[in-house]
Amino acid sequence: MNQPISAASAGVPFAEDSSRPLFRARGLTKVYGMGTAEVRALSGVDLDLFAGELIVLLGPSGSGKTTLLNQLGGLDVPTSGTLRYRDMELTEASEDQLTLYRRHSVGFVFQFYNLIPSLTARENVALITEIARDPMSPEEALGRVGLSPRLDHFPAQLSGGEQQRVAIARAIAKRPEVLLCDEPTGALDVRTGIVVLEAIERANREIGAITVIITHNAVMAEMADRVIYFSDGRVDRIRSNSHREPVSSLRW
Amino acid sequence: MISQLDRKLLRDLLRLKGQAIAVSLVMACGLAMLIMARSLIVSLETTRLNYYESHRFAEIFCSLKRAPMSFVPQIQATPGVSVVEPGISVQVTLDIPGLEEPATGLVKSLPDYQDPQLNRLFLRQGQWLRRGGRKEVLVGEAFAEANQLRPGDSITMVLNGRLQRFQVAGVVLSPEFIFESRPGAALPDNRTYGTFWMGYEELASAFDLDRAFNQVSLLLDPGASEKRVIADLDRLLAPYGGRGAYGRSDHPSHIRVSDEIRVMETLSIGFPVVFLSVAAFMTNAVLSRLLALQREQIAILKAFGFTNGQIGWHYVKFSLVFVIGGTLLGALGGVVQGRQLVIMYRIFFRFPELGFHLDRSSLVIALGVGTLAATLGVIGAVRRAARLPPADAMRPEPPANYRPSLLEWMGLASWLSHSFRIAVRNLERKPAQALFTVAGLALATAILIVPNCFRDSVGEVLEFQWDTVQRHDVSLGLVEPDTEAAQHPLRQIPGVVHMETFRSVPARILFGHHRRQLMIQGMSPEGEHERIIGVGHRQIPIPREGLVLSSKLADALGVRPGDSLGVEILEGKRQTTTVTLVGLAEDFAGVTARMDRQSLNRLLGEGDVITGASFSVDGSRRGEFLSSLKRLPRVSWVAVKESLRDNFRKTTAASINLIQSIYLFFATVVAFGVVYNNTRISLAERSRELATLRVIGFSQREVGSILLIELVILTSVAVPCGLLLGTGFATGIIGLVSTETIRLPLVLTLRNYAFAVTTVTIASTVSALLVLRTLNRLNLVGALRAPE
Repeated sequence: MNQPISAASAGVPFAEDSSRPLFRARGLTKVYGMGTAEVRALSGVDLDLFAGELIVLLGPSGSGKTTLLNQLGGLDVPTSGTLRYRDMELTEASEDQLTLYRRHSVGFVFQFYNLIPSLTARENVALITEIARDPMSPEEALGRVGLSPRLDHFPAQLSGGEQQRVAIARAIAKRPEVLLCDEPTGALDVRTGIVVLEAIERANREIGAITVIITHNAVMAEMADRVIYFSDGRVDRIRSNSHREPVSSLRW
Repeated sequence: MISQLDRKLLRDLLRLKGQAIAVSLVMACGLAMLIMARSLIVSLETTRLNYYESHRFAEIFCSLKRAPMSFVPQIQATPGVSVVEPGISVQVTLDIPGLEEPATGLVKSLPDYQDPQLNRLFLRQGQWLRRGGRKEVLVGEAFAEANQLRPGDSITMVLNGRLQRFQVAGVVLSPEFIFESRPGAALPDNRTYGTFWMGYEELASAFDLDRAFNQVSLLLDPGASEKRVIADLDRLLAPYGGRGAYGRSDHPSHIRVSDEIRVMETLSIGFPVVFLSVAAFMTNAVLSRLLALQREQIAILKAFGFTNGQIGWHYVKFSLVFVIGGTLLGALGGVVQGRQLVIMYRIFFRFPELGFHLDRSSLVIALGVGTLAATLGVIGAVRRAARLPPADAMRPEPPANYRPSLLEWMGLASWLSHSFRIAVRNLERKPAQALFTVAGLALATAILIVPNCFRDSVGEVLEFQWDTVQRHDVSLGLVEPDTEAAQHPLRQIPGVVHMETFRSVPARILFGHHRRQLMIQGMSPEGEHERIIGVGHRQIPIPREGLVLSSKLADALGVRPGDSLGVEILEGKRQTTTVTLVGLAEDFAGVTARMDRQSLNRLLGEGDVITGASFSVDGSRRGEFLSSLKRLPRVSWVAVKESLRDNFRKTTAASINLIQSIYLFFATVVAFGVVYNNTRISLAERSRELATLRVIGFSQREVGSILLIELVILTSVAVPCGLLLGTGFATGIIGLVSTETIRLPLVLTLRNYAFAVTTVTIASTVSALLVLRTLNRLNLVGALRAPE
């Protein structure tokens, strides 16, 4: 089932050796709790993800999507199995190594934006550009998501869609190799949601970061290179799209 | 059966236990001080009152040159006088085994064949004097303890020039000497100064005072005017060399106990007020946080039909638990501290029995005041919660609104790092929380200043008195004023390098309606042994004519240099004359007026008379010098600078160390508690924000530093405020314990400030780090979920 799909067939221009996956998961298992309260959030996931791909993870609540995303982002360690990012075994990395991994390689976009309320849009982004290795300027990052006029607003002064675009700018300003989005439109209306997805899709194209989007919304599958269906802590199936639908054509 | 809501209360409290303990501890500090101070006041007051009544402490006292016993009925006949107790009181020197130098003693007579009517003694050890017995003395407990004297031991006294051995019959206490020290001395010096009692006839014959008395104590009729009796007595005794009568309020021992009660009264109000204010705020912060967390629970309770009253009461109960905890801890702390202070009091105050009696009413007051403070602390938060409509309450609170901070308005934005910005804006968004954290830390800093200021001030007095003012090694007083010729035997004492003589005389200074009784000291203008120091530590030369007063006394009298003062000499021919005030001395201990000795003697019309001498002693012959003094006739007192200094140092060190340990404990608790709560609340309120920072690549250390920066900002504001506040506290308390006769200078050293700053910094840092350890338990995954 979980056969990797070559980058060439997905029609995406990869800069690197496309036959070598960026992430390689084998037997990835995560168990919460003990005994009768035991919950198997992931049970033996094998998966290869390639640089530059745009992946949509679909599945019902509790199917293990978020748990996988947390493993990919270095936020959580599996109970068993291995997860390799490039040459780094994430399952064996120390706390400090994981921090550096998140700092330099991963961009996160959350459902509830998670901006620092006491910092303005520009400062929220600058917070990251100050510690990243080769960042773009905060102004450039915010320009890419169309927020140039709102640089000096505090989160409480921005709409939900604007806040989410600040979060995207914050995530892409470091030019990450991995962009992880957990229900990025979950708290937004359709029109705003489209704007946010466009920003994510553009970031994926222009920066070339492998982008993983979690959603309940099956419509969003159309914008992906690959769609991974989750159920019961396992990869149910994987669908490869012959081409990515433009986000503006999506409706739900 | 415990209600479900109370079950919730208990479980919530269990989760909040760290913060609950912190609040209770701070509250306990204030309440401990309240309970301790009030209990000590009650203990001191009732013990003193009972002692005075049971041992018939007199109400009016007067010493005089000499009056015949036959004059007593005339005093008794004075309107308002109920009981008259005449007697003899003299100063002598003693040779105490094991003491290198002669000790000085005040010897008082006891009636030979009856109990004294006033100022009765309490027998601690041994027995009373045998009726009509000879060569026996009773010894005051303080001196007996310091010199390990027991009934049956022998001591040698020089009585009016004759060396005599006495056996110690018993060790006693007197209501006249609850506080026992050399006249004018700030602290007791029990090793070299003591009080003694012997039979009237033996003492009278030794001092040629047969059938005469030189001091008298009176008890008044109920309702009699003390002022009038004093005036009558002064008039009656003037022909007999009366030195001015005074009431209990001028009695040195009585004053010292009253002073202590006064200090305790101030502490019993001031301390609790500040500590409880801080505790009230901490309660507010904890409860506000809890209510914010439980918005939805409140909404559900309301939706199910709980009334606002029930919900409000539920949350008020939290604060009541803090109060009960605080009162219990406070009572425990108050009793422990009170007992320690009573032990210290026993060094200074000699009562037959001074116990620590817990004043139960103070517990009730503590509980009441604590409840008031905590209720004030929670009322706002609880009312907010009660007012919330259930539907609103079920939605999460709207996001926090931030503004650019003041620093940024001032154009300093470019200087600020992001962590700093986050910290500053957070502080500005919650000014009350910041303010009270600053207040708590400032308070902790401030109370640390007080005990060290005491230590430094006492040190300064000792140094000033004994290094700057007094340049001699030993001084002594003669039994009676004597001619200049009396100095020759003194010069012959082995080891004397240099000797100077002085003349001192009791007098009354009059200016307008002010009057003060004091000693005028006549000094030699060429002398090197005693200097008069004026403003700015400049030496004032002794003027040929005129008087130098201490500036504090001049203030009290309202006189300035150039004014003419009335001087009434209370000895010899008792002249009254006027003298010009020519200079002001800055001194700390005692009330002395100084003038040229020749000029004083002219004023007295007595020729060249001396009453004492001071000596510089060859260090290698010090022992020889001191043992010779023991055998010197006609010496009434001896003061050896080094041993006085040592004894003072020991006495003050012990008591200041105790006070300091108490204050140090309080300061640490407050700093620790305030920071603990502040950090816990910040951490809880902002766990999502901090977790997000961790997720997007900040290390635990970097995240912790944001909270630490807030703390550093708060501390750097609090500490200078605390130093200022502490300076105020120290000024107030030093002012409170300073009287006209014993003044403490306000000495604030860099070392004192540095100690306070260091202590508070360490306590805060340890507390913050303890909380920040839990940063590694931050739920990173939780940050991705919906806000709470």
